Amino acid sequence: MIGILGSSALVLAFLASLGAFVLYFLASQKNDVKLEKLGHLLFGLKGALVFFASALLVYLLLTNQFQYFYVYNYTSSDLSNVYLWAAFYSGQEGSFLLWILCGYLVGMGLIKWTGDTYRSPVMFFMTLTQVFLLSMVIGVTLFGVHIGASPFRLTAQEFAHLPVFISNPSFVPAEGSGLNDLLRSPWIIIHPPVIFLGFAMMAVPFAFALASLWKRKYHEWIHPALPWTLGANLCLLVAIFLGGYWAYETLSFGGYWAWDPVENASLVPWILGTAGIHTMLIQKRSKIAHKASIIFAILAYVTIVYQTFLTRSGILGDASVHSFVDLGLYNQLLLFIVAVSLSGVILYALRMRELPTQKSETPIFSREFFMFSGAMTLLIVSLVIIIGTSAPIIGRLFVANPTPPQPQFYNDWTLPFALAIAVLTVLTQYLWWNKYKDTESFAGSLITPTVSASFISVALIIVAQVTNIIYMVYLFIAVFSIIGNGMVMTKLVKKSPKMIGGSVTHIGFAVMLIGFLGAAYDSPMLDRNTINYNAAVERGEVIDDDGFPVHQTLEVMKLDINQPRRVNDEYFVTFRDATISHDNRPGEQRYTIEFEHVRTGKTFVVNPVVYPMIANSTAGNISWTVDPEVQMGWLRDIYVYVSNSSMVERESSRVQDESSSFQAVADRLMNGYEQSLTPEVNNLVRLRPGATRNLGQYKVEFDRFINVSEEDLPENAVVGVQASINITNSQTRQTETVTPLYAILYDDGRNTIHSPVVELENFDFDLMFETIDTATDEAHFRLIGIEEYIEDEWIIIAIERKPLVSVVWLGTFLLMFGFSIAIYRRWEDQRVRTKQDRHYGDE
Amino acid sequence: MKPRVIIGTVAIVIFTSLLMWNFGNSIGSYVGFEDAELSGNRVHVIGKWVQEKPHGFDNERMVFTFYMQDEYEQVRRVSYNRPKPNNFEDAESLVVVGTMRNGVLYSDDMLVKCPSKYNDASNLEISMN
Repeated sequence: MIGILGSSALVLAFLASLGAFVLYFLASQKNDVKLEKLGHLLFGLKGALVFFASALLVYLLLTNQFQYFYVYNYTSSDLSNVYLWAAFYSGQEGSFLLWILCGYLVGMGLIKWTGDTYRSPVMFFMTLTQVFLLSMVIGVTLFGVHIGASPFRLTAQEFAHLPVFISNPSFVPAEGSGLNDLLRSPWIIIHPPVIFLGFAMMAVPFAFALASLWKRKYHEWIHPALPWTLGANLCLLVAIFLGGYWAYETLSFGGYWAWDPVENASLVPWILGTAGIHTMLIQKRSKIAHKASIIFAILAYVTIVYQTFLTRSGILGDASVHSFVDLGLYNQLLLFIVAVSLSGVILYALRMRELPTQKSETPIFSREFFMFSGAMTLLIVSLVIIIGTSAPIIGRLFVANPTPPQPQFYNDWTLPFALAIAVLTVLTQYLWWNKYKDTESFAGSLITPTVSASFISVALIIVAQVTNIIYMVYLFIAVFSIIGNGMVMTKLVKKSPKMIGGSVTHIGFAVMLIGFLGAAYDSPMLDRNTINYNAAVERGEVIDDDGFPVHQTLEVMKLDINQPRRVNDEYFVTFRDATISHDNRPGEQRYTIEFEHVRTGKTFVVNPVVYPMIANSTAGNISWTVDPEVQMGWLRDIYVYVSNSSMVERESSRVQDESSSFQAVADRLMNGYEQSLTPEVNNLVRLRPGATRNLGQYKVEFDRFINVSEEDLPENAVVGVQASINITNSQTRQTETVTPLYAILYDDGRNTIHSPVVELENFDFDLMFETIDTATDEAHFRLIGIEEYIEDEWIIIAIERKPLVSVVWLGTFLLMFGFSIAIYRRWEDQRVRTKQDRHYGDE
Repeated sequence: MKPRVIIGTVAIVIFTSLLMWNFGNSIGSYVGFEDAELSGNRVHVIGKWVQEKPHGFDNERMVFTFYMQDEYEQVRRVSYNRPKPNNFEDAESLVVVGTMRNGVLYSDDMLVKCPSKYNDASNLEISMN
């Protein structure tokens, strides 16, 4: 019932957007305000219907209605409400809905804030994108053609071929297949909405550019489009940052950036948007570069659609860690790109001759020239990334079954351009804010930043022991860019703080470049044995069991409990403890790893986590997942994860049994687990009365002292006391209480200690009450022979040193801050302009 | 105007050819185990984990070993010099990058393709039983 309601709402929304599309077209053509108002009405109605359908979907998710395929496929009854809500956009259908909703909100903003000149054509193009996006989720079969995949499909329809549905069509699954554990992270709440808001906002410059072509008003559109483009860029930047941080910090992808197609899908529009912002600024200031602004605005959106096509059509199949499988939308997505690109190309071709052209050539030493060069460099970078991402298609020119390119390809072909851009930012900023008589005075003003950058980078090169000449140049350019832009910023702050958006973003960019350099120095941190082994492998001296030389070096090492290892001659690393808690997930294991600096003796502790992926586990085969822990530092991060351990192996064998539903696995993980490991392997236990200490699987509890009456003591005893000790094997639950004696005897004129060894009945080791330390009030008990029975506790650990990751984040924050200032400034600008327009209009 | 256009065109042509040449070199081809053995180069092999055969992390050698069946039904041992990747058991296919020597694929990079969950009926069959 709800499903029918939801599907109908989506179909109606699609029809409403079609209606609005037609109305906006007519309104733009005839400049008819009434038709436009009607268009707004349909656009609003469409939004209301999509909101309604989304609310229904969320309701279905929250109430675990597994008869709906979307609910079945992305949730299970154990999910908390937050993740049930996030499941709304965990699948393709829902994420399209989210995109449409964002587009709707942006559209409402445009209706409110756009001036009369462009409003209806802009809304026409916004609606065009909405029509296509809605067509992805309507799920209607028309003349034998299936259009879209509805989020309200029934599980019974989806699995109609399964015997259970053939025999009983009204069967409802009792449990869903669950949200992937990797996605059960707070980041999923915020990351996707920001991306789709960015995607939706990037449609605005596209719509304005096309509207300007349509209406033959080639100049004014940039004023309203600029803040939107900046906003879209800020959203994409935040989304890229969140995704990178998520991948780095919790998903153990190993780094913050992997040139994955899905990552590139937001990076390329961001780069093109940035190029567009710069040409718009040139256009604003100097009334040139109209063509470039229009082209970049169109390209930024076309690439969003293109990359959506790449990632969602199934064409990338084996190239990405993000798997999106073709929902049968291949043709529709293709049509979407064709429509968006064609509308751009055709309109541009129609107006090409009319577009304002530059009368005279731009002189080389002008801000326009440098800024334009920067924008072109950005274009080149985005082309490189597009080519790389399109490897499954373009690569067929070279090989039959193309793989994605090596990350090296992207690095080699983007970083040099990034450096060029870093230099251009300085030149442009100087020319933008100052007036120079001639090139000489311009060059003169660059002396200070150049000289100081040289000194600083030489100092950095020495301190950081950089030996690679390319890295030296790289470092110099980045420092130069920071100083140059920094000097511009300091001047501007005094004059007018809201003007500093540009210089702050440029500084952020250069700071990020320095941070990227750190990735070249990523290295595993290993103990001496492993380092020696790796060196032997490199020399070809290691031979495996079959007599073949070993080629693989090690990047992980084994740590035994409480045995410090000297790692990289920098830290003593000790595996201290491991505990199982069920706070976050059933069976989650938290490890305590202590780092002590070799020279300073400073210590810190990291707690990497290993947890079973319940949704994908059967009791016979538990999928363990690592959740790394990062010890952040300004200059370097230490990235630690535990890949295997005695505890993991023990738990796996303990939980093994025939039951296979995940609730059963969870139950078994929750019950009878070992709470924690031994912090000591020594057989000596020091305890105060009432205290407990674990030795491996054995728990030693010192209950209390027992006073011994004199007749029970040996004859020559001066003093004596007994201790009540409980020993428990936490695996077998066997337990025993003993009362060993400790006495001081007086023999031949001197004191001797009398502490007889107590043989335990239930365990194969002995116990002795060795002494009492009066300074600490602790009694010392020795468990003789327990060492043989304590199970080895070990972990396989990967420790990686990742320099300058924090610097990358710092650069990103500066970029965000700069963009925010720029948005504020351009938005104010635009408000003032609109007010003036209205004012003139009234007169 | 003329020299600018000529220089620009030449630059673009050189740039594009260099780019595409480098691009062509940096991509490989997905192959099967037999071709991988013959080529001896670093290759990408797509396949499925063979669950019936032994697998596990060797704590002495610190390698994760398992058997994989490629797209041409060939089964070979894979030796991966890192811990078992997340989602491994759940993968519907694996892309293993490495070099093939003496019938063993030595890999230092692996892409785990998780099931799309689309048409994933495994849980349904369970709740049926």
